[in-house]
Amino acid sequence: MSPAVRAVFELAPYLAALAAGALLPRRSGWAERAALGLTAALALALVRGLWPGAAPAPAPSPALEWPHLLNVIVFLPLVGAAAILFLPRQSPTLLRRFTLGILVLDLVASLFLLRASPERGWHFQFIADWLPSFGIRYHVAIDGISLWLVLLTTFTTPIAAFVSFGSLKTRVKDLCFSFLLLQGGMLGAFVALDLFLFYVFWELMLVPMLLLIGVWGGVERIKAAYKFFLYTMAGSVLMLAAILYLVWSHREVAGYLTFDYLALSRLVLPKTAAWLCFGAFLLAFAIKVPMFPLHTWLPDAHVQAPTGGSILLAAVLLKLGTYGYLRFCMGMFGGPAWGAAATLASVAIFGGILYGALCAWKQDDIKRLVAYSSVAHLGFVMLGLFAGTRAGVEGAILVMINHGIATGALFLLVGVIYDRRHTRMVREFGGLARPMPIYTAVFVLVTMASIGVPGTNGFVGEFMVILGTFTSMTLGSNAQMQGVAAAFGVILAAVYMLSVVQKVFFGPVTNPKNAHLPDLSARETIALAPLVALIFVLGLFPRILTDRMHDSVDAVLERYREGRLAHQELPEHATTARLRDRRGGPLERGYPKSPEEREAEAAKLAAATAPASAPAAQGAPQ
Amino acid sequence: MQSWIPVLVYLAIASSVGVVMLGAARVLRVRARHVPPTRAATYECGEEPAGKAWIRFHPRYYLVALVFVLFDVETVFLAPWALATRALGGYAVVEMVVFVAVLLLGWVYAWRKGALRWQ
Amino acid sequence: MNLLFGLSPFLAVGVGALLLMLAEAFGKPNVAPGVETTDAGAGRAGELALGAAVILVIGAVLSVAVWVAGPESLPELTQVAPHLVIDKFTLFFSFTLCVGGALAALLAGGYLPEHGIDRSEFFPLLLLSTVGAMALSAAGDLLTLFVALETMSLGVYSLIGLRRGSPRAAEAALKYFLLGSFAAAIMLFGLALLYGATGHTDLAGIGAAVRSIGSPGSTVSAGKILISLVLVLVGLAFKVSAVPFHQWTPDAYEGAPTPAATYMAVAVKSAAFAVLLRVLLVGFGDERLASWGAGWPPALAVLAVLSMTVANLVAGRQESVKRMLAYSSIAHAGYALVGVVAAMRSPEAVSAVAFYLLAYTVSTAGAFGALILCGSRGAEAVSYEDLAGVGKRHPAAALAFSLFLFSLAGLPPTAGFFGKLYVFRTAIDSGLYTLAILGLVNSVIGAYYYLRVMVYLYMREPAPGAPRAVTMRSGFVATALVAAAIFVLLLGMAPGFTLDMASGAALTAR
Repeated sequence: MSPAVRAVFELAPYLAALAAGALLPRRSGWAERAALGLTAALALALVRGLWPGAAPAPAPSPALEWPHLLNVIVFLPLVGAAAILFLPRQSPTLLRRFTLGILVLDLVASLFLLRASPERGWHFQFIADWLPSFGIRYHVAIDGISLWLVLLTTFTTPIAAFVSFGSLKTRVKDLCFSFLLLQGGMLGAFVALDLFLFYVFWELMLVPMLLLIGVWGGVERIKAAYKFFLYTMAGSVLMLAAILYLVWSHREVAGYLTFDYLALSRLVLPKTAAWLCFGAFLLAFAIKVPMFPLHTWLPDAHVQAPTGGSILLAAVLLKLGTYGYLRFCMGMFGGPAWGAAATLASVAIFGGILYGALCAWKQDDIKRLVAYSSVAHLGFVMLGLFAGTRAGVEGAILVMINHGIATGALFLLVGVIYDRRHTRMVREFGGLARPMPIYTAVFVLVTMASIGVPGTNGFVGEFMVILGTFTSMTLGSNAQMQGVAAAFGVILAAVYMLSVVQKVFFGPVTNPKNAHLPDLSARETIALAPLVALIFVLGLFPRILTDRMHDSVDAVLERYREGRLAHQELPEHATTARLRDRRGGPLERGYPKSPEEREAEAAKLAAATAPASAPAAQGAPQ
Repeated sequence: MQSWIPVLVYLAIASSVGVVMLGAARVLRVRARHVPPTRAATYECGEEPAGKAWIRFHPRYYLVALVFVLFDVETVFLAPWALATRALGGYAVVEMVVFVAVLLLGWVYAWRKGALRWQ
Repeated sequence: MNLLFGLSPFLAVGVGALLLMLAEAFGKPNVAPGVETTDAGAGRAGELALGAAVILVIGAVLSVAVWVAGPESLPELTQVAPHLVIDKFTLFFSFTLCVGGALAALLAGGYLPEHGIDRSEFFPLLLLSTVGAMALSAAGDLLTLFVALETMSLGVYSLIGLRRGSPRAAEAALKYFLLGSFAAAIMLFGLALLYGATGHTDLAGIGAAVRSIGSPGSTVSAGKILISLVLVLVGLAFKVSAVPFHQWTPDAYEGAPTPAATYMAVAVKSAAFAVLLRVLLVGFGDERLASWGAGWPPALAVLAVLSMTVANLVAGRQESVKRMLAYSSIAHAGYALVGVVAAMRSPEAVSAVAFYLLAYTVSTAGAFGALILCGSRGAEAVSYEDLAGVGKRHPAAALAFSLFLFSLAGLPPTAGFFGKLYVFRTAIDSGLYTLAILGLVNSVIGAYYYLRVMVYLYMREPAPGAPRAVTMRSGFVATALVAAAIFVLLLGMAPGFTLDMASGAALTAR
């Protein structure tokens, strides 16, 4: 077979998908058709490219990992935000195109992260000294967990921005600035491995989100903005105090200052201190997640935020809380995290999954309903993390991703009818299926994903979480009961989601204002298409995700277990901290060097380079 | 403690002067059942008092007084300097020239800004 | 020659002040023809502001130059010690003071002509007061300390009352003057008692005498030392405006022309902190006094907690942005006091406070400057309503304002965040966990009222019919804001060099 023929065969499926996507929709313009076709082809490419059996796993070679890739991904939006300031306010089209261009470029750049081998350890690591006198470094890297969250971020932000540009026509410059800054902050927080750096990015996200809610939000936007900002900041300052305490304890033991995650996670604190620090971190993350009873800011923020803000809030910002718990609480405070897991799991089930679902049931504002359903879904994520089993943690990560996609799509859909009717009350609608058939179809589909119907992406994650809860040792004798209770939450999800679907879409058209609502516009269709495609891709092929996170999840759980053992071995009344043994290996690549090690290295380097002509220098490492 | 006794005596005398004067005025005053208005009026050597005693003075008075006091007090520093000049030598002379120059500068400033002008 | 070089920051600003004074007195009034004026420098605010700013920048540059040359390599400097102690601590503070003064001068260059306060005395007074402040940070002797304190304060008294027609300004000036002289008198009493008890006027001698208490042959009375400590603390707490000695602050800031308020908030406070640190560590550095059980740390800790909490709670209830900034400056005094308390155990805390004050200086000067920029003649922006919608009408001013407020609130990546981080880190290093956590919790409360400004800037529209604040145009104010913004971002993202400078300041204060 000649190469040309083979190429045709290779390309045939993609072309077929492209044609199907482009030709199937009725009534559409060419742009919409092209976008849909492209989405279909790309979805196929994604599945084929990532399918584990399709190609032999690439040999782990650092040469594939361009070290500056993460810098590019994180700083592209930040630089873009700075550049936005110098673009003319009078030309919103230029601003919008520029922003979308940057965001899409960021998405493309982040796809190269998939070239990282799925092995444990840090990939695309980049380290530079930032403030040596404080032990602060610029240290970024990803593993199999943060990889997916980074991709989720770069994937949803362009969609959110694209949707917002359709509905928000005022102060476009500020809007573009906020989106880019937010994007940079979120990405930075996911990849930072230096606690100072993490805190900087963590706080950096607050401001643009505040603007998104407060400037373009609904009637009560200012109250919601305050609530969002003060809740989050209250949590994070205590985390800052705990970080400072950790740094100080590390210096007491090791003799030098460092804010590095790798070093600080070796620290075994005295029991009281460990519990207090764990509490501070937990508070910060629990507010962000949000966990019951700290969730009250979320419905307000969601309801008041504009559609784009809601999408990002649900899809990415909340994930920072769960990611933070996974990375920092479980990674650094294994003992307290283990000790508190059973209690917290009950809180997650009753306060999050069940109470969130019941609250959602009683809402008459659709957006508020979706917001409470977020509380319930995030309850599943936290439950999976508390369970501390491989299935539980992997399920939690899957739910994070899937919730980002499904709930993001739901908020987008709610935004669609809000743009048309300027209300979101369930009672205002009824029988929408008649005037808006495509919209209804997509809504029902996304609802299925949100409920977790098998075949859609929502199912796998929740199933794995419940499975992990059943088999969890951490949760002790109540694990089975907790698993049952969590499963009950899935039923409740079906109850509230389906009841709202029934009321809004089916039956006769009750309100004459709804009789002639236009169906999805081209912009909305294009924005929804990738989300819908992913719902199926991830629902049918979850191995795409799980195969790349196995090793990293194992590493996290190993660290978690080691932390617990070290904590338990510590004498009850120990007053001084100690350090666990170094394990070496890829997980400690980039470990911060003590000043003595640095000096020794510098001396070695100087000895090697000084007599440049000497033959001895040739063998010395550069 | 011995050395403080003169101070105490001085304080006692100083405070008693005031007390004695005010007390004497109270004891020795004329007690009349019926006080005519002229007697209660301010004593102005037979002239009719015009206006109240509490009147506003023009700030110029204060300005001139302030400037006077300022330079007057500064010259106090010249006395100890004059006594010690011989012992301190040329360095002290330079110092005092600088000091007087700065003072002069202030005076020039006050002059330019019209602090000495009466109109 | 080395002596002159060592003293050059002080000399530059002092001589510059005199020259500026002459220039002002002999200048030709720049007024419309036919207008009679007795003021020789009327209408020349722009030129004078530029002159003052240049002089102060020279002072700042010379401070850095002497710092780099190293004051310990200039043995001639011991000739002026202990009256003026030129060490890295002093130089760091004189840098901060010069920067704060220069920013205030630039702001005044735009503000005074805009609001019709054509009092050109402002600039010589500002410079002379800065000389006093610099000398205060260098004072190692009770006499210089008091003289410098008064030099600094006298200038400020008249700066506040500059707006002569306004009864509010008169009230502010009188209030500050009366309370200030009262506090100075109390402090003077403390200083006199200190001299009486120890027989020394230099702080090092006093420190030695205090250390000798309890050893055989010592005649120093512990009771007198304690009383004088309390009196000195009261006097200085007034100057740094710590609760409960803060009542004058909001009134004085509100009545004063905004650049004068800026100067008070940044320079007067920084200089007072410098002298507070030096007096406490050098004069009362004895282990028995500088310990958690007794002496000044617990008293200062109470002041710190009160300042942070009360000021933050009250600031949220203000309707005037200027008053809010006044209370915010009180709260920041509280944060800095946390560092002063930590200085009892960790020498690094001194550099933390120094760094904090530099960060605070640029952020506060920037915030006041942005407030100035938001109002124009006849419509000075004072209340929150005046700021409504500025984000739309003047995005640059709003952006700058937000940046400085974030710095004051302590959000990364700004100077204020790093300052707070440094101070609270040293507090945790010294085992002052409760103070650190109270400080951090307070910074959340503080975020509320900083946020409120942002809410008005970006999220509210002016009420229909209400007079709209028209933003002013001024190259001076814009320059000051740009300079302050560069400082804020630089100190927040690349504070390495400044941190090194500050950590040099720590070693020599003790």
